[in-house]
Amino acid sequence: MIPKWLSEKDNYIPKEEKNLYIEKSIFSFIKTISIIRQNKSQDKLLYLINPNLKVISTILNIALISISRSFAYLLIMDIYVFGNLMLMQKKSRKRIFIRSLIFPIISLIALIPSMFYGNVYNSLLLFQKIIITIIMMNLLAHNTKWSEISKSLKLFQIPDIFIWIMDITIKYIVLLGEYSIDLLYALRLRSVGKTSSKYDSITGIIGNLFIKSYKMSEEMSQAMECRGFTGEYTTKVNFNLKKIDYGYIIVNLLLIVTFIYLKYQGIF
Amino acid sequence: MINLENISFTYKNKLALDNVNVHINEGEAIAIIGPNGSGKSTFLKLLNAIIFPSEGKYTFNELEINEKHLKDNKNLKLFHKRLGFVFQNSDTQLFCSTVFEEIAFGLIQMELPIEEVNERVNDCLMLLNIEKLKEEHPYNLSGGEKKRVAIASVLAMNPDVITLDEPMNGIDPKGKSFLKDLLAVLNKSGKTIICATHDFEYIDGIFKRAIVFSEEHKIIRDNTYENIIKDKEFLRQYNII
Repeated sequence: MIPKWLSEKDNYIPKEEKNLYIEKSIFSFIKTISIIRQNKSQDKLLYLINPNLKVISTILNIALISISRSFAYLLIMDIYVFGNLMLMQKKSRKRIFIRSLIFPIISLIALIPSMFYGNVYNSLLLFQKIIITIIMMNLLAHNTKWSEISKSLKLFQIPDIFIWIMDITIKYIVLLGEYSIDLLYALRLRSVGKTSSKYDSITGIIGNLFIKSYKMSEEMSQAMECRGFTGEYTTKVNFNLKKIDYGYIIVNLLLIVTFIYLKYQGIF
Repeated sequence: MINLENISFTYKNKLALDNVNVHINEGEAIAIIGPNGSGKSTFLKLLNAIIFPSEGKYTFNELEINEKHLKDNKNLKLFHKRLGFVFQNSDTQLFCSTVFEEIAFGLIQMELPIEEVNERVNDCLMLLNIEKLKEEHPYNLSGGEKKRVAIASVLAMNPDVITLDEPMNGIDPKGKSFLKDLLAVLNKSGKTIICATHDFEYIDGIFKRAIVFSEEHKIIRDNTYENIIKDKEFLRQYNII
């Protein structure tokens, strides 16, 4: 029953090949998924604040930053965001800081010619606005669960069905991401020799992923129908405030008052 | 052949394997038993160097298997050639456009002559009783057929050790008994079989040894399969049956 070659040992020695594309793909997938799946229910101060408050204050602060022309206000906001950054976990802090620096630095380089023509103040103002905005958004993404952020959008009159689609999308990014990691692992385990067409197998994986996502969406829609889903979906916003939330509200109110005061006093 | 010394594995601050010590000789047939979440799949992933231990030493054929050793592409390929892994979910293992290509994938990479590739693929198709599926797309197959293709794709590379993660999952009774016979024959032909399972009805007669994992991710018993499977009180105590 068993063929002869299967009961004998192969005398196989693989050839040298520098090909790290599978390793790199696995690593980048794991990195992205771990960011989405990271534990955001820590004991640290910022993680405990009501997510709705965080979303509102972030959007409001970004709006104020973009209309402000005061260097003093932006400096205060700088201190505020860096203070928040210090309250994050060490690992996240480093990641947020490095990521938030890339685009402002590119913008700063693009603004150099304008600075040579004497537009230094406005250029630095723009640089400040970009860096604060990016850090604030990164902070929100790192210390608040994705599902809570999407639920908070209800406060901005965004339809429930849209919020729900966002939730499902995020969930499926993780599911399909994990599925692709497994496919890449399987590919790595069977990559025992020299691959002439290195990227052909990746095409196979992408195709497989498309079919899988199609089947998953079909199954989900059937399961939803079986549970009585008729196209309406309601999300509820949690607005139970704790002590820490009141503290957060006070700090943000102070920032708004500072903005108004500096604007009307004309302090730059 | 395989030696695990004081192996622990931690994932996201959670212990998935706790101080595991195992020695596996060539030609053994071992069942890995334990309740859900006890670390069976993690153990198999570790054996296949998909993950690496946080602590301890893993040696395969006297060579220490770690990230440093497998960073050398040649070592990595040789290791995966010798140790085959059949995933729990066959969907994740099949990525070629036809069953034939799927089985030939590893062989073509090994740069075997085309006659030998054809011979091995046809032998595997016959062995797994899937000759009719040769030109089918793996995604259109049933669960049991996918599992057979996945096993064939691993067997074609003629590994010394075959690891299987819950191979009986989602297979009909006829398929299960076919798989049982196949594993027994493979073991008789000299292959080392390591298989995580809790489908005890269909694995009688394949395994000589069983390793039991507890919910605390530790090995609580390493004995003959017969002794363990007869000890109903022990199996009940550790939520296995």
